[in-house]
Amino acid sequence: MAEPAMQLLDVKKNIGNKQIIKGISFTINRGEVFGFIGPNGAGKTTTIRMMVGLMNLSDGDIRIMGNSIKSDYKQAAREVGAIVENPEMYPFMSGKQNLLHYARMIPGITKERVNEVISLVGLEKPINDKVGKYSLGMRQRLGIAQALLHKPSVLILDEPTNGLDPAGIREIRTYIRSLAEKDNVAIIISSHLLSEVEQMCDRIGIIKNGELIATQNVHDTSVEKQVNQILMEVTPVKKAVELLKTQHDIESTVNNGALVIQNDKESIPQLIKTLVEHDISVYQVSVTKASLEDKFFDLIGENTIE
Amino acid sequence: MSNFFKLLYNEQFKIYIRKSTWVMYLLLAGIIITLAVVTNSYGDLNEKYQQDNWRDVLQEENNEINEHLQENEQSGQLTKNNFYLENDIQPRAYDAWQFVMENVFLLSLVTLFTIIVAAGIIANEFRWGTIKLLLIRPLSRTKILLSKYISVLIFAFLTLLFVLLISLIVGALFFGVNGDASFVQNQLGSYAHVSIYGEILKGYGYQLVTLLMMATFAFMISSAFRQSSLAIGIAIFLMFAGNSIVAFFADHSWAKFILFANTNLEQYEFGEPIIEGMSVGFSITVLAVYYIIFLVVTWLFFTKRDVAGQ
Repeated sequence: MAEPAMQLLDVKKNIGNKQIIKGISFTINRGEVFGFIGPNGAGKTTTIRMMVGLMNLSDGDIRIMGNSIKSDYKQAAREVGAIVENPEMYPFMSGKQNLLHYARMIPGITKERVNEVISLVGLEKPINDKVGKYSLGMRQRLGIAQALLHKPSVLILDEPTNGLDPAGIREIRTYIRSLAEKDNVAIIISSHLLSEVEQMCDRIGIIKNGELIATQNVHDTSVEKQVNQILMEVTPVKKAVELLKTQHDIESTVNNGALVIQNDKESIPQLIKTLVEHDISVYQVSVTKASLEDKFFDLIGENTIE
Repeated sequence: MSNFFKLLYNEQFKIYIRKSTWVMYLLLAGIIITLAVVTNSYGDLNEKYQQDNWRDVLQEENNEINEHLQENEQSGQLTKNNFYLENDIQPRAYDAWQFVMENVFLLSLVTLFTIIVAAGIIANEFRWGTIKLLLIRPLSRTKILLSKYISVLIFAFLTLLFVLLISLIVGALFFGVNGDASFVQNQLGSYAHVSIYGEILKGYGYQLVTLLMMATFAFMISSAFRQSSLAIGIAIFLMFAGNSIVAFFADHSWAKFILFANTNLEQYEFGEPIIEGMSVGFSITVLAVYYIIFLVVTWLFFTKRDVAGQ
């Protein structure tokens, strides 16, 4: 049975008179990689800031390993490692000095652990250079190192592959997967790069205008069944649209003269039969599995900020 | 407790690893050495009184002054010399302690540097973006704030100590150290024989009031507006304009409640306070109220406000 690492319970955030987050609830289990995606301004960063205690909740609660962020902040924060937005460090200090600085803020982090984390993210060579000289990719690695120092149960990474080269991205991806699988860490990744999230995550939450509009399992086939897109080349198109509506209660759209419907694969033979019986010529039927990106745009529609 | 000590260590580390902090110390050392050189070359070091016939030297000086003195004119030097002669005190040779005492004015520079550090210690974390990584640790914000405030005080204390020690060392190298601790000081026209250590302690102590109040004020602005330049600007402006502000509003009955009417506690030692009806007790109460308000406002802004995006 999956053990919940982080629970969001009807989390709301008002800034001024405006409700920025309109009641988000979801659970992330241990060992799970959760992708948090949405357009800019949707409330991703606000939600993450509430998860780590940088912002107060207007309503609702967040529980981390059972500890409320509101009433047991210290216990809750002990279980969380995070990068919030850019991995900003003290530029005038070396990478090592930065890590030691954060290590001193949590009891029980040994020097050995600091060195372990440094080699984990592959920063042994430049660790004594000033962070001001680091590239964005190096800072990103240092940010991850900083988040892992105290062996958190929940790891929150905001745009973790930002600024990394393809090799670096693959390395981080492998590392995130192994953290989740071997160390049973719950990992939350926010991103706007859908393909990346698709490759890294087990489950995806889509946020739009302060609402969680969908959560989906990336590898779940039952989901694929639902979102099959069926394209039919038929004449006359108008009659076909009406027929599908009256006979099967299916809404269809016309795109470039072709009929587009969303339905199960299993329903196709029955649909063709209906069309043929009513003297409609069917030239071509094709099924496209909607990619995550299509789902994403289906769900969020236009990238508008209310 | 060791936990809190580590936070203090972190804050001190962040202050002293920066080059700008070392520039402050180099500047202070440079000024002190320059002062010593100038005093050594052009100052009156009371050398002429250091022979056995110092009484004759003083008397001769008095005669000379009397000759040039117009009728009804006063001479401070004359009164001072007479005080020496009447009480049979040999004028003290200028030495390191006197140099330390004269350098009390450098505390306004120490105050300035402390304001800069206090203004930056919160605001810079916001500017660098590191505040996010700092505040997601399993520590209360109050504790982090306290470590920052105490770090400012430690910085002020160390800088003060630096001025004292460097003045003493440089003074000793240039002027030597005088075993005689007594010192004749002008106290509103009349002269008194006082201990130089006591005078140093008092002089530095009075300056500390302004230092503490202005550093705390800058710390508050830094916490409220999260911008160091604003905090430095306002604090320094008020520090220099403080007396003018008091003078400007002096006619109003509430003028005595202005912070800067009360920061100079030295006013009670000799003579009248700048505004009638004020006493030491009154000033200390006003200062305490301001101090508490500053700290409460700082705390409220730091602990209650969201850390939102830039």
